[in-house]
Amino acid sequence: MANMPAAPRERIVLPPHRQRARRPRSVRAREWVRKNLFPSWRGTLLTALAAGVLGAVVVGLIAFVFFGANWEVITHNRWLLFAGGFPREEAWRLWFSIALVFALIGLAYGTWSSLGRRDHLFVLLVGGFVIFLMAHGGAAVWSSIYFLIAVGCMYIGYLLTYRLPRATSSMRTLQVRLVGALLILALPIVLVVLLAGGNVGIRDLDGFVLNLILAPVGIVGGILIGIPLALGRASSLKSIAWTCTAYIEIVRGAPLLGWLFVALFILDDIIGGDLIIRAMVVMAVFTGAYMAEYIRGALQALPRGQYEAGQAVGLSQYQRMRLIIMPQALRISIPPMVGQAISIWKDTTLVTVILPLRELKGNADSAISQFEFTPDRIEAYVFVAVIFWIVAFMMSRVSQRVERAQGVGER
Amino acid sequence: MPDELSAADIIAESAGPKAVAETDRAPSEEPEQFSPRLANARDMIITEHVDKWFGDFQALDDVSLRIKEEEIVVILGPSGSGKSTYIRCLNRLEEHDAGRIVIDDIELNEDVRALQAIRSEVGMVFQQFNLFPHLSVLSNITLGPQKVRHMPKLEAEALAMQLLERVGIPEQADKFPAQLSGGQQQRVAIARALAMQPKIMLFDEPTSALDPEMIKEVLDVMQELAESGMTMIVVTHEMGFAREVADRLVFFDEGALVEQGTPEHFFTNPREERTKLFLSQIL
Ligand SMILES: Nc1ncnc2c1ncn2[C@@H]1O[C@H](COP(=O)(O)OP(=O)(O)OP(=O)(O)O)[C@@H](O)[C@H]1O
Ligand SMILES: [Mg+2]
Repeated sequence: MANMPAAPRERIVLPPHRQRARRPRSVRAREWVRKNLFPSWRGTLLTALAAGVLGAVVVGLIAFVFFGANWEVITHNRWLLFAGGFPREEAWRLWFSIALVFALIGLAYGTWSSLGRRDHLFVLLVGGFVIFLMAHGGAAVWSSIYFLIAVGCMYIGYLLTYRLPRATSSMRTLQVRLVGALLILALPIVLVVLLAGGNVGIRDLDGFVLNLILAPVGIVGGILIGIPLALGRASSLKSIAWTCTAYIEIVRGAPLLGWLFVALFILDDIIGGDLIIRAMVVMAVFTGAYMAEYIRGALQALPRGQYEAGQAVGLSQYQRMRLIIMPQALRISIPPMVGQAISIWKDTTLVTVILPLRELKGNADSAISQFEFTPDRIEAYVFVAVIFWIVAFMMSRVSQRVERAQGVGER
Repeated sequence: MPDELSAADIIAESAGPKAVAETDRAPSEEPEQFSPRLANARDMIITEHVDKWFGDFQALDDVSLRIKEEEIVVILGPSGSGKSTYIRCLNRLEEHDAGRIVIDDIELNEDVRALQAIRSEVGMVFQQFNLFPHLSVLSNITLGPQKVRHMPKLEAEALAMQLLERVGIPEQADKFPAQLSGGQQQRVAIARALAMQPKIMLFDEPTSALDPEMIKEVLDVMQELAESGMTMIVVTHEMGFAREVADRLVFFDEGALVEQGTPEHFFTNPREERTKLFLSQIL
């Protein structure tokens, strides 16, 4: 090459030439404690205060959970809370779905991330919690075993994919495509497993199972609606842009509660259908408006040069969207979309309030309406809160993982 | 002017009446000075009376320029003079409002098929590199050949490696753009454009976003490319490159093509006052 300098201009880095001493661990730990907990007398005071408050809460909780509370309201109503009116003899469908989803979570973790010590601890805690529930008030031996099998499926899925080498590109591509396709197909597959055959209908989705179905339908449906809406709102064709803008603004103009009223009274006349289906439609339509705005924000955040570089390479408009714009836009919008997902997860409880549908919280209400359990209101609601927290916490952990796993190619 | 005119017809037609019609504008009267080595080369790019408006602001004002196959043209001009707008019109990142643009005998107009054809023949390198941050260096380069030219993956990868070799960074193939230095990123961008096997390369200030120590590595690649017979239009403020590599310099000011000529002409006796003023500031 003409005028090429003899050596390429790289940054100069020297290899380390001697072993450097490390400070002993105990010293480092002491340093850490001093810096982070007792940096000054004011810091020390605040730490003491925080420790006092935390301690009081923890002690109070332990006292309540292990000594004060009467958990019979939960253990006695296990099935009611879990699946309500879902026919018991079809329980295998539920367990099979759970095992499927767990296995898929394992596969996904093995493919894109890794399980750390904290994850194992989390599984252990949640597993212990579930087994504890199963063991009390008429032990549910088989359910416990099924649950353990499901957890086993998760680890098998994890080990299956985690052991695969990540470097060889063609294998890796195949693996990513396969697991990705399974993830996309998970919801329809689960719905088929739950509902196929004549014995169960969509009306039988009840209790916690209903929350577990409603939220993903809302989230997945919302994303599927949100992507075209976002593109439509950004379209240069004004008629399309206005229509999409109207949809988004109108839907966001009323709370979910309001739209569930619409589902109850108005949709009945227009589309009819089962209440659960109407609730699903409302969830997806509602979430879609928010997802669209997050995606649109991401689209606007992308530099114009990305569109132009795609054009200059000769990609068609569709190819530019699919290969360059959308992958980046969706990545940028992961954090707000997960926020929306967590919010819609908690909002699944609203279907009890408006529609005569029974999900976890609704069934907790009916549990404490039983005469012998009326004093155990707090227990029932604490339990419901913990369950919701566990799932919400998992969602936010997974999203952190997704963000980190994708951080490699970040600008 | 009917659409089916061939490039030759257009030139023949424009040579006569144009000069007469445009007497108010001195530059148009000036004969184009081609480097002797291009005496018999055919026209690769023909732009005639091109206007471009942004709202009520005229960014290009009656720009006419013919560029020969294998010619290296460097465009100079102050900020806002329309240099970028001009070369962006050549692959229709901007649509011109009047005049004609003919690239390798294909006229640029509403015809989408023609546009696709031209875009895959014209490579472009941007000031800000504009690599795709979510794709590896290798995938950045193979994307075009695979998706537009339908080249099999392995073949595209081999081509990409060959090009990375050519721009001097084969060892960076598996990295992501954010992990490279500016100079390396720009060389990847050049390789990405070359992967479409273009006949023409457009460079819009390719070294302006680079630290001084990286400018040379990019200019070297461009010089090698020029010597290999590529037709190139380069917007740059690198006067050393212009002097050494260019066949012709073109000076833009306020949207109009004010003066053109050999580097020799520009650096020894530029004719227009505006050119002199500009050169006195940049040299
Ligand atoms: N998309 C646009 N909308 C409105 N005005 C524009 C647009 N693009 C460019 N312009 C205007 O057109 C004029 C020419 O811009 P252009 O980018 O071609 O200048 P340039 O010669 O490349 O300048 P520089 O050396 O700063 O890059 C400028 O005044 C600019 O403000
Ligand atoms: Mg410019």
